[in-house]
Amino acid sequence: MIKLQNITKIYSTGTIALRNLNLHVKPGEFISIIGQSGSGKTTLVKLMIAEERPNKGQIEIGEWDITKIGSNEVPFLRRQIGVIFQDYKLLPRKTVMENVSFALEVAGESSAHIQKVVPQVLEIVGLHKKSSHYPMQLSGGEQQRVAIARSLVHRPKIIVADEPTGNLDAINTEEIIEILKKINEVGTTILLFTHNREIVNRLRRRVITLHNGELIMDQAEGKYVL
Amino acid sequence: MLSLWRIIKFAFQDMIRNIGLSFMTVFILVLMLLSVNVLLVVDTLTKEAVRMVKDQVNVSLYFAPDAGDKDIAAISQYINEFPEVVTVALLSRDEVLSSFKERHQNNSEVEQALDELGNNPFGPTMIIKTKEPGDYKKIFTALDVPEYASLIEAKSFDGNEDAINRIQNITNRIERVGFGLSVLFAIIAFLIIFNTVRVAINTQRIEIGIKRLVGASNWFIRGPYLVESLVFTIISVGVTIILVYIGLRWLDPYLAVVFPASFSLTNFYNSHILYVFGTQILSVLLLTILSSVLAMRRQLKV
Repeated sequence: MIKLQNITKIYSTGTIALRNLNLHVKPGEFISIIGQSGSGKTTLVKLMIAEERPNKGQIEIGEWDITKIGSNEVPFLRRQIGVIFQDYKLLPRKTVMENVSFALEVAGESSAHIQKVVPQVLEIVGLHKKSSHYPMQLSGGEQQRVAIARSLVHRPKIIVADEPTGNLDAINTEEIIEILKKINEVGTTILLFTHNREIVNRLRRRVITLHNGELIMDQAEGKYVL
Repeated sequence: MLSLWRIIKFAFQDMIRNIGLSFMTVFILVLMLLSVNVLLVVDTLTKEAVRMVKDQVNVSLYFAPDAGDKDIAAISQYINEFPEVVTVALLSRDEVLSSFKERHQNNSEVEQALDELGNNPFGPTMIIKTKEPGDYKKIFTALDVPEYASLIEAKSFDGNEDAINRIQNITNRIERVGFGLSVLFAIIAFLIIFNTVRVAINTQRIEIGIKRLVGASNWFIRGPYLVESLVFTIISVGVTIILVYIGLRWLDPYLAVVFPASFSLTNFYNSHILYVFGTQILSVLLLTILSSVLAMRRQLKV
């Protein structure tokens, strides 16, 4: 359901971030994408959410060629892909409930629907008792769970997680990965961008390895080999 | 409609939860508006002072004692036809004599001289007011004809031509400087308001980025800032109106010492309230909206 064909991205400084990348992701897969700093992971995340455009190649998500979408269609794309970031990217002046609700409000969902869905999602991530807290009142792990809840409200088919455990301790890391695994079990495709060796080795799922902007390894039940 | 309601809700939420920044924005807007109103007050007072000075300046025509009423009436009609003439007042021979006696009532020599003369030595006097001091020259030129030479004994300014010219130059300069200051103030006000709004938005660029990543459309992001611009405008103009009227009530009694009773700044503002504050509301609103739009253009690039 996700096809990347001959993707090349060259920044204006001349840096080649991605080079003729080809990747095919089936629905419901859990893929870890690993690589050192500068291997092209972050660029790939940006291309997936149309924050950057490739210089060459095509990205298809479902039937949609997202390399050709207009700027006015980008918000619609982003409502259909759940994204989780290393720095959580929560709105600091909105409560937990408001942060998660915001993702539905931008899509024009009714207040009744929001009031029904948001508590359910907060319960999934274990934060229903902290719905009126502000992000600064939460721990790192709790903030990341809010971010996951926000990414889930649209019931996206794909979740892109860019170093979601980068700022977390081992226990919180474990919890976040478990939540992602549970989400994957109900059919959501997960793309986990990480350089956490232990996570990758424990998951024993498909592992894509990037190096200097190229896909150098694709293992069905991979290990962290860098 | 739901989106509009949410945009308004987010705007008020942001303002209340960022109360410090909201207060500073309103504070700066109020300072700017007060500066503009101070300038307006100074301009109004200057114009009124100039008008008062011009009002003191008039031309007197001293007719010969034997000038006939019909001739004087004809001259009066002739002068009234000039568009520059505001009023023409005629003092009869008796009125001139009474006025003269009153001015010199403590001067026994003058009284004695009048008694010795027996007759009223004075002719009628015509007092002419024009719109501008410089218009008197035109009147004088018009009266400088042979048929009036025997009727008009003398013409004079209350003041003299040099003084009139000086007043004219000063008032022209004051008006030019006033206009220049107004333009300068408008530019400074624009720059300060623009930067204030830009800083407020730039401090929220991270939030704007997050909203974009979550799938908010540009208008959903932009909307609350535009609503905030409207609210800040209304609050700042409202506070300014209150402060201006408090200031005017305090100032008017002091001005009554110098200016005529018919003039008060409060009355001036009351009679021009829609124009004065309407202009300020529209200007501030346009400035804040323009500043928001320009400040967010960079943040909203895909």
